[in-house]
Amino acid sequence: MKPFDIVIVGGGGAGLYAAMEAMKTNPSLNIAVLSKVYPNRSHTSAAQGGANAALGNKAKDDTVEMHIFDTIKGSDYLADQDAVDVLCSEAPKIIRELENMGTPWSRMDDNTIAQRPFGGAGRPRCCYCADKTGHTILQTLYEQCLKKGVIFFNEYFALNLSVKGSRSRGLVAINMKTGRLEAFPARTVILATGGYAKMYWNRSSNAAGNTGDGQAIAYRAGIPMKDMEFVQFHPTGLRKSGLLVTEGARGEGGYLINKNGERFMARYAKEKMELGPRDLVSRSLETEILEGRGFDSPAGKYLHLDLTHLGADLIKSRLPQIREMCMQFEGVDPIEEPIPVRPTAHYSMGGIDTDNFTRTVMSGVYAAGECACVSVHGANRLGGNSLLDILVFGRIAGHTAAEEAGRFEPGNISEAELQLNTDEIRGSMHSSGHYERYGELREELGQTLALNVGIFREASLLKKGMLDIAELRERFKRVRVFDTSDVFNTNLLQVLELRNMLDLAETVAAGAFAREESRGSHTRVDFPVRDDAKWHKHTMATMVKGNVSLGEKPVTMGRYELQERTY
Amino acid sequence: MTVPIDQHIEQKQDVTFRIFRFNPQVDSKPYFDDYTIPVERGITVLRSLNYIKEHIDASISFRAFCQAGICGSCGMRINGLSQLACTTQVWEVLAKSREPGLIRVEPLRNLPLIKDLIVDMDPLVDKMKHYSNWIDSTMPESSMGKKEFLISEEEFLRYDKATDCILCASCVSECSILRANKEYVSPAVLLKSYRMNVDTRDALHGQRLAELVKDHGVWDCTHCYRCQESCVKSIPIMDAIHGIREDAIELRGLKDTSGSKHAEAFMSDIEKKGKLVEATLPIRTNGVFWTIQNLLPMAVKMIMKHRTPPPPPLVKPAKGIKVFRELFREMTEHVKQDHKSHKK
Amino acid sequence: MKRYAYYLSCINESMTKEVDRSIELWQKDLGIEFVKLHEGTCCGGSNLDYVSPKHFALVNARNIALAEKQGLDLIVSCNTCLMTIRSAKKKLDETPALKKEINDLLKKEGLEYRGTSEVRHLLWVLIDDIGLDAIRQKVKVPLKNYRIAPFYGCHILRPSTVLGHDNPVDPSSLDLLIDALGGQTIPYTHKNRCCGFHTLLVAEQESLNVAAEALEEAIQLKADFIVTPCPLCHTSLDGYQAKALKHAGVESSIPIFHISEMVGLALGYSPKELGIKRHIVS
Repeated sequence: MKPFDIVIVGGGGAGLYAAMEAMKTNPSLNIAVLSKVYPNRSHTSAAQGGANAALGNKAKDDTVEMHIFDTIKGSDYLADQDAVDVLCSEAPKIIRELENMGTPWSRMDDNTIAQRPFGGAGRPRCCYCADKTGHTILQTLYEQCLKKGVIFFNEYFALNLSVKGSRSRGLVAINMKTGRLEAFPARTVILATGGYAKMYWNRSSNAAGNTGDGQAIAYRAGIPMKDMEFVQFHPTGLRKSGLLVTEGARGEGGYLINKNGERFMARYAKEKMELGPRDLVSRSLETEILEGRGFDSPAGKYLHLDLTHLGADLIKSRLPQIREMCMQFEGVDPIEEPIPVRPTAHYSMGGIDTDNFTRTVMSGVYAAGECACVSVHGANRLGGNSLLDILVFGRIAGHTAAEEAGRFEPGNISEAELQLNTDEIRGSMHSSGHYERYGELREELGQTLALNVGIFREASLLKKGMLDIAELRERFKRVRVFDTSDVFNTNLLQVLELRNMLDLAETVAAGAFAREESRGSHTRVDFPVRDDAKWHKHTMATMVKGNVSLGEKPVTMGRYELQERTY
Repeated sequence: MTVPIDQHIEQKQDVTFRIFRFNPQVDSKPYFDDYTIPVERGITVLRSLNYIKEHIDASISFRAFCQAGICGSCGMRINGLSQLACTTQVWEVLAKSREPGLIRVEPLRNLPLIKDLIVDMDPLVDKMKHYSNWIDSTMPESSMGKKEFLISEEEFLRYDKATDCILCASCVSECSILRANKEYVSPAVLLKSYRMNVDTRDALHGQRLAELVKDHGVWDCTHCYRCQESCVKSIPIMDAIHGIREDAIELRGLKDTSGSKHAEAFMSDIEKKGKLVEATLPIRTNGVFWTIQNLLPMAVKMIMKHRTPPPPPLVKPAKGIKVFRELFREMTEHVKQDHKSHKK
Repeated sequence: MKRYAYYLSCINESMTKEVDRSIELWQKDLGIEFVKLHEGTCCGGSNLDYVSPKHFALVNARNIALAEKQGLDLIVSCNTCLMTIRSAKKKLDETPALKKEINDLLKKEGLEYRGTSEVRHLLWVLIDDIGLDAIRQKVKVPLKNYRIAPFYGCHILRPSTVLGHDNPVDPSSLDLLIDALGGQTIPYTHKNRCCGFHTLLVAEQESLNVAAEALEEAIQLKADFIVTPCPLCHTSLDGYQAKALKHAGVESSIPIFHISEMVGLALGYSPKELGIKRHIVS
């Protein structure tokens, strides 16, 4: 295969914007986007809320500076402040650029792009398209890529970076249609593969494929991960599927009830009740469950989000999508019955360590979007900042890689290397004797993470979690792939995704164990306060001889001094 | 509705999933495999497939991703109906199932089969490219990012529903004409084309329309409404398809294609007689030569059965046609006024 | 006597005259009186609405208003007329501004669209108003042992937001009628599929393919005939049958009946009286 100048792994908001920007920066480059799903299927499509930008359409006095402050405070002061500056400064231009390309943003009465309030924001600055913002942004970007003739390798699963010394030569991927491994020699690689919250399996709202593939590929190649222990939980995920019941249900007057019929939020947030901040409500629900006041079921413990008192008329007119969703995914009609909910892992703040230009420590490898950690979200991400993050840094990645590609020699990936990768995979198909089932391993991983590396963390639980993960990684060596076909082997795909999740889970648990403080979404019951003196720093996790080795990196300050974070 | 307060009792029933199988590597033709599993109330078809894959047969292959009805990956035919597996409740399907306790699961129609429940999306993507399913912005790239176009609520509403489309291809699977001709443009592509055409930021309108009115394009739709009926997002797809035709007639005139000529005939017959002059419809649509070549044998049969439609002079106008014609013509004036006020 | 306003479909006035003729024969037997709406005009047949949506609304508001003037529901025996007029009605009912504009014009003919008359298909009247039991009792010549393929036709089922009488995925009214008349319905997967009529002139090959599929299945299932509530479907499946089957390389044929003929036969009328001899395929 002819060497590429840039190979982008991932076809979501970040990957697609990177491709477009790279082509614009240098039209003569040979660029390709590799995605394990068709780009329009990417998880960007699930984002409903919107993308923040200080446009000043809704609140005329909104400024980039206010957005910067809100983001830094929201991050519990762990975000790198110069990176946040980039994020917020670029925001208005990017939202408008997307609009000029045809994104169907909702409008205000004066026909400018509409904005609405969102959690943790001092001004209403979240730009949206009804409740389908991510979906319409993704569709628009995909359409524009088709227009520009971006080369896509759809349904290719990236397996490993090909590394020579301190450089990457490109990557090796499986062509799902044929089952064959193909080499993608490239001067530069941009990883834009999305988050890893799906490692919590049934306790996650993520798509089945948000398994941290890009992070795992980078991690195995020796590139450090940053702040992996910071996983954001959303309070109300449906019991069976983990899918989100949005805040609107509580906003319209829904009650959270435990098995004693009690509106328990009275004990945690007397004033705000069900409308406290996400992390507070998540912790409250989790506490109720842990202290035995949750309902029990084969699918696990849960609580009730009760809308029955609101009446059929209100539910049908103001919450039709929530009702539809409960009926479709849980078989429950909120007019008749309370909705079974529990907190769900939603977003991963941590990821591949990059600088403000999306460069990783390995030259020629860049990362952007949820799979990267610049860091702009620090210990906790504000709603509306994720869509912004993927767009801003996706663009920067495309631009940077396009400018720097010329500095690198084109890669060369040998037949031998391809064969090595192929053999490894084939091996798992024919293992004899005792074998492990991938479904079991995956469930157990999700369970131990939910229990031991969940909302409330504590040294002994975390230790247990780390042991469990180590054991699962060991057992994984004997996992059997039953489907031996070449054509579209989704069994193999899922096993490889599990490998990625297991590799990364170590970094999450280890980071959580090491960080002896509570900050943002990381809550230690044994260290309940934020400890800036000891812990105002990033956690670095690098793979050394197959296992995690922790380090640290300072947080770039310069805009706002550390202060207590209260709302 | 009373639910025991401390425990949710799960109702279960045994369900047999009859799943379409085909692995081109080893099978000469497709076949079905049956899997019977207990399914709780509230479980979706996708979750059932996942269960079967994990616990019984790891080789059954299907696409799935978000499990939340937004990515469009898991489109398939469930008891013959094209829909998303992740938003389809097993118990609901069973309640309407012709064979008790059985659910047939098959791949989408009209797209090439890759394996089991997986079909090739590329032909659809190729059509999207062919019909320019993107906004070609009137703003040059170098000027982008400074100020947004001002879009009114009225315009936003024109394309709002069409932007709900998740490209699940259920409409593609159900389309009657696509089934008969794989080159047909497809409902999803028509929907997207319409969305682009009504967006004032787009510069390609005329060119896109020119392509849409050609063979295998918008005039080939037989309005069976299967697309709209099966749309998982309840998008009124036929409104978009008729919107394109209306647009084509307005911009390109009534004499542009046989499709538009066919429509013109209805309009003029109604005005003149209030009834269709069917006898000359084929001629006005496709010309004398075509009519003789294609319909002569049938015309002969019809003559023998006294079944031919009356020739134009013998078509009796509706009673009271004169007054009707006045109303009709006054409406024509109204419409002219509307158009004038719309053209800025 | 149940009285209804009866809409005159263009095709029933020209090619498929047997439909109205057969209804005239037996309507009294079932206690129905159809008052023909001679002032009605063509509904625009799923073409007019995109040439001019406003003319489309006007023409059909008028058709319904004519029935309303007599205080009767409007009954139709063509699927496309049914769907078309009901779509127009829905638009008028939901858009007060349009309704007003139309009524300002209709005033001049002494008409007003108020939305008081329902627009329904003959098939629905038989099932809902007359009732299967009453029909069963009137049957003189049960259609015993006839294997009948029910071809509903698209526009009596879809879009369900406009039609809403039968479940578009698994409709039953025609099956029930056949049963009440003593016939045997066969499990016909094409029952809710298309006949291709509307593109016979614009995309002939495709339409013939579509029609051929419907015919082939009925033939394979050894149906004695196909019955349909729509004269357009009838024209496609009967008039174009030879062409469609030749195109598909099938050497066989199958008679196509209108529901009005099927009812007539069961009520004891002869094929000649009912106009069955007018069909192309015997």
